[in-house]
Amino acid sequence: MELNNLNITEKTDLIVARHGTTSDVVIPILQDIQSEFNYLPEPALKRVCDTTEITPAQICGISTFYTQFRHQPAGKHRISVCTGTACHVKGALFVYEAFRRELKLAEDGDTDASMNFTIEKIACLGCCTLAPVVRIDEVTYGHVVPEQAGEILRDFLLKRDTGISTVPADTFDHKKSQGEIRIGLGSCCVASGSADVKMQLEKTIAQSKIRVNVQQVGCVGICNQVPIMEIIKPGENPAFYAKIKPEEVREVLLSHFTPEGYINRFKTGFYNLFETLLADGAPRSFRKYLGEQRDTPLSGFLLPQVNIATENRGVANPIDLDGYRRSGGFEPLRKCLSGMSPQEVIDEINASGLRGRGGAGFPSGKKWQLVKDQEATEKFVICNGDEGDPGAFMDRMLLESYPFRIIEGMLIAGYATGASHGIFYIRAEYPLAVIRIGEAIRICQENKIIGNSVFESTFSFDIRIFGGAGAFVCGEETALIASVEGKRGTPRMRPPYPAVHGLWDKPTLINNTETFSLVPWIINHGAQAFSKIGTSGSKGTKVFALAGKVKRGGLIEVPMGVTIRQIVEEIGGGIAGDKKFKAVQIGGPSGGCLPASAADMPVDFEALREAGTMMGSGGLIVLDETDCMVDIAYYFLSFTQNQSCGRCTFCRIGTRRMLEILEKIRSGDGKQEDLENLEKLAHSTAMGSLCGLGKTAPNPVLTTLHYFRGEYEAHLNGLCPSGKCLPLIRYEVTDECIGCTKCAQRCPSEAIAFKPYEKHEIDVEKCIKCDICRQVCPANSIMIR
Amino acid sequence: MVKLTIDHNPVEVQEGISVMEAAAILGISIPSMCFRPGLTNHPSCMVCLVKDLDRDHLVPSCAMPVSEGMNILTNSPEVTEARREALELLLSDHVGDCEAPCRLSCPAFMDIPLMNRLIAKGDFDQALRIVREEIALPLILGFICPAPCEKACKRKALDHAVSICLLKRSSALFGKPETSGLSEIPVNNGKKVAIIGTGPAGLSAAFYLLRSGHSCVLFDQHEKAGGAMQYEIPEDRLPKDMLDDEIGTIRKMGAEFRLGVMITREIFQNSILPGFDAAILATGSLKSVIDNAFGIQPDAHGVFIDKKNFTTTIPGVFACGNIIREQKMAVHSVAQGKMAAKQVERFLGTSKPTRKPIKFNSVAGHLSEPELKEYLKESIPDDRVEPVDGFLAGLTKEEAMHEALRCLHCDCRKPVSCKLRIYAEEYDVNRRRFAGQDRKQLTRSVQHELLVYEAEKCIRCGLCVEITEKHGESIGLGFAGRGFDVRISVPFDENIKEALTITAKECVESCPTGALAFKDTEERSSI
Repeated sequence: MELNNLNITEKTDLIVARHGTTSDVVIPILQDIQSEFNYLPEPALKRVCDTTEITPAQICGISTFYTQFRHQPAGKHRISVCTGTACHVKGALFVYEAFRRELKLAEDGDTDASMNFTIEKIACLGCCTLAPVVRIDEVTYGHVVPEQAGEILRDFLLKRDTGISTVPADTFDHKKSQGEIRIGLGSCCVASGSADVKMQLEKTIAQSKIRVNVQQVGCVGICNQVPIMEIIKPGENPAFYAKIKPEEVREVLLSHFTPEGYINRFKTGFYNLFETLLADGAPRSFRKYLGEQRDTPLSGFLLPQVNIATENRGVANPIDLDGYRRSGGFEPLRKCLSGMSPQEVIDEINASGLRGRGGAGFPSGKKWQLVKDQEATEKFVICNGDEGDPGAFMDRMLLESYPFRIIEGMLIAGYATGASHGIFYIRAEYPLAVIRIGEAIRICQENKIIGNSVFESTFSFDIRIFGGAGAFVCGEETALIASVEGKRGTPRMRPPYPAVHGLWDKPTLINNTETFSLVPWIINHGAQAFSKIGTSGSKGTKVFALAGKVKRGGLIEVPMGVTIRQIVEEIGGGIAGDKKFKAVQIGGPSGGCLPASAADMPVDFEALREAGTMMGSGGLIVLDETDCMVDIAYYFLSFTQNQSCGRCTFCRIGTRRMLEILEKIRSGDGKQEDLENLEKLAHSTAMGSLCGLGKTAPNPVLTTLHYFRGEYEAHLNGLCPSGKCLPLIRYEVTDECIGCTKCAQRCPSEAIAFKPYEKHEIDVEKCIKCDICRQVCPANSIMIR
Repeated sequence: MVKLTIDHNPVEVQEGISVMEAAAILGISIPSMCFRPGLTNHPSCMVCLVKDLDRDHLVPSCAMPVSEGMNILTNSPEVTEARREALELLLSDHVGDCEAPCRLSCPAFMDIPLMNRLIAKGDFDQALRIVREEIALPLILGFICPAPCEKACKRKALDHAVSICLLKRSSALFGKPETSGLSEIPVNNGKKVAIIGTGPAGLSAAFYLLRSGHSCVLFDQHEKAGGAMQYEIPEDRLPKDMLDDEIGTIRKMGAEFRLGVMITREIFQNSILPGFDAAILATGSLKSVIDNAFGIQPDAHGVFIDKKNFTTTIPGVFACGNIIREQKMAVHSVAQGKMAAKQVERFLGTSKPTRKPIKFNSVAGHLSEPELKEYLKESIPDDRVEPVDGFLAGLTKEEAMHEALRCLHCDCRKPVSCKLRIYAEEYDVNRRRFAGQDRKQLTRSVQHELLVYEAEKCIRCGLCVEITEKHGESIGLGFAGRGFDVRISVPFDENIKEALTITAKECVESCPTGALAFKDTEERSSI
């Protein structure tokens, strides 16, 4: 379709009419323009400037600041290759390059010639347990290997018309039910095919007339076993079916439930038998575990956990208000409104020892008190859901799975601090979270939980959603505020703190999603119950996104004070694939790497900080002996460098120079003085940057330099001990080669000659180090040297 | 009121002011680039860091409000190093030349680009005046100088170097001498200086001493003044009438020439030392000093002359020119003559207070093809003008004016007021320490009638952005991009002329570097 200017003007005017003409609506307007035109046509932007208070400088500044926006037309479909930490350590870059080759992209292009696909790297899709992950439009592919690129593109084009829809909420009919089937519909589950499983389930139920409730639940947390299905039948232990496939649903279902009526049963039985016979010999992928059974991978994963933020995990339908209320939801809010003064609520939070879960661990009660103590006509409460760390998906899961709990936490905070407006700031990459929260807000409004006179009290509180536009730095509270005000997400000097001068200069409480989700529990069970859990300085639980080289990854909630080793070995089941546990990266790009020898460190704000890392928002990536620490440092720094807002000198230029030095070291061109300059820059960037992003950006470098200096020195001598740094390695075929020609067939750069039944050879000149040959070799005969 | 301690000094100040303002009350000045009173003051340059001892943090003093009991250190090694690193990082991303490469390669540090601009305008009088600031003998050097400046000229990458040497000669030929220092000679200050030798060094020293009110007597063993220029350089390289003309200028300024006089040790000891307030040896031969012709004794290290300060072991006796170092280029001797004259003035207490010269220079290096195109915006594409009537005749007025237009103006327009340069000098930075892998490509926006915008000199402080916003410019300037790639630009690539309609002056004046500069400004830097 040819866009003419008239067309653009009309459509732009409609968009502006939806949002208004004040300067703070610039981001929502740009988001709508982009979804209308697939990019930001300049005439549309100029039209916005002509018809609103938004200035040219503002609109150009904003549209080039946030990565969501593009100024060139994009292809019909968007391929997002996740390069989050978990994906990175599992070879995301190989996948990215494979898609680029498949689409025959020019070196600086991102869209194929037929304008069908536009490819982009994305910081984290939050499906770390399925790494490496690729998302095309709404379809997510997990465990992608580079050689599948073409296959995936074809599959996508084939499937796009069948449409996997977001499944609507189900109704319950407890009386007639023979039992309940729960199926996880978090992002990981959907990505692994749970929607297909659910469709098959519904089809089977309809065909066989089994009377059973299908309950869709939020993230189960056992993301390494998805899709997961739980069958609950009165008088029986719950049974979990892990990694279940649509074609296996019927068999599982019929083994638990009897179809209605004899003939039906016979028919089904016969059909079932026939199908099983046909499928005989095919590998069975699903595994069945009973809920109470110990020593199964599931019990190892679930039992050491304590669920507060994730209470009722795997049981509750995220947007079933009645269900939430049945399990005691909104009682804590009622308790506050009817029996506690705002000060009493804050005292309770203070007594619980709750500290902010966004990373820095500031005492929440103190923050609340500061906001409460301000005299102002208007105050705000903001839920920070701009989780952008690669390797972290806690907020996403909480927002998707427990929207009412977080809303309740915000309402309690609003009551305690005297605020009347709430804002959810949710990052652009979490569409499902935006939908769920939006739905939950609507339900709460209908039920008079949000709005004027909450529960008929004098307390009024409204909540809206603000969609982030792709800027990690907006997780910093002053940058987040700037973003909501329609400005570039640039942090400003603190003091003054947002609690005093926040959004629109009004006192503003900003807490992390997880922090809010702990609040109702604390009010319900009392401060003491919460402070009993954890260490002397760090109370309660912490949610981690456990991923990387562990056997069992997923979303976990553990009491503060458990050791990292317990998490890795007990919950995570140790390292996958007989490799050696080398390190954990904790806290994402602001955190650092701790070696396996330091894994007995407890999860505790102070202990982690002393070790040079930090709690961060809770990414926990486990690394094994094949991971190169210089590469890891480079990876995280390239993320923060890319995400720097560019305001202050140390962060804007310092991180760039550090990255250049790391690149030099990674390529084998580093010298001793480079290490010294790197260390120096890391220290001064940490000391001299204005905001948390710059202050913590050097942590991955400083911790790896501290704990793994030998590895850096090896690189100075031209050696990458883990075989990860491409400029320092080459691929070779060993004598184990069976001459199957698979590598030669798959090599995208014709570096391997086709020689059936002979030992193959790799032409080092032609080899692009894409790793495909090593992955397809059935005899493990491709070596990295 | 708030009580705090700055550098161990207790001070009580008004609430709400910044640490920087509080320090100023104590007379402690803190460097800053991105700060400007009256604006929102969003710290970015980080050159104003100070140490908050209680929080063990470095904080930007310009934006940090004072608070009760604060304990601040503004001058510790840690603070100095952090500021230095901030400057070094800024410089690693700062592309441009503080001084034009031609000027830097000129031994006399002649302000060549300015001379070119004046000649291009046809103002030969002013051009000569500028040339004479550094070069006493522009006419002579306009014939014999081997012109190291032209070897450094960036125009060479495009076609040929600007004909700097001939332009300098043109300034002397077409500029009126009265405007070039002669009419400004102050009243005689009563100090008498003897100059032994009338080669380029001696004549140059005489020129500057005369111009600052001294009496000068020049001695030479030969019958004619000029030294090697008179007796060794052939007529077809340097016509004698030109040489005599320029010596005549110095004579007209009041110099007394005593020619055909051989200065013996006796004359030197008995007449010159007692009869003059100072003496300059410019005999062109180190031998005359070592042979002890002037009675100069070596010091404990066997040294007769301090080559840096042009002093000898006899107080009041100075030396310059080939005595210091045997050199082929007369321009070296001319430069030394000026420097020796300055030392004499310092010795006699007759020197005027001058600004401390800046040694720091940002250097952009070779220009790429696109960069040359950017620089051509202020130049003309024509190749070098060769004088129609040959080398001896030189350029005509018209030829000179046309040739001068070829200058690419590599020099910065704010060599004196640029804060980056001032602090780089003050903090003794190493601009190469954090040098990046690829430097950014230079650009030059010249459409605006008042100003030039060179984005690669920008430190992204955003003062101009805020100023245009504050005054409601309909287009204004804005930030574009993020992180390392953030830049200040005109929205929608509009013409900068439309962007800065009422704020051009304020933007230029606020800009801490040479990124935004007035087109017609001429800040004079010196060495």
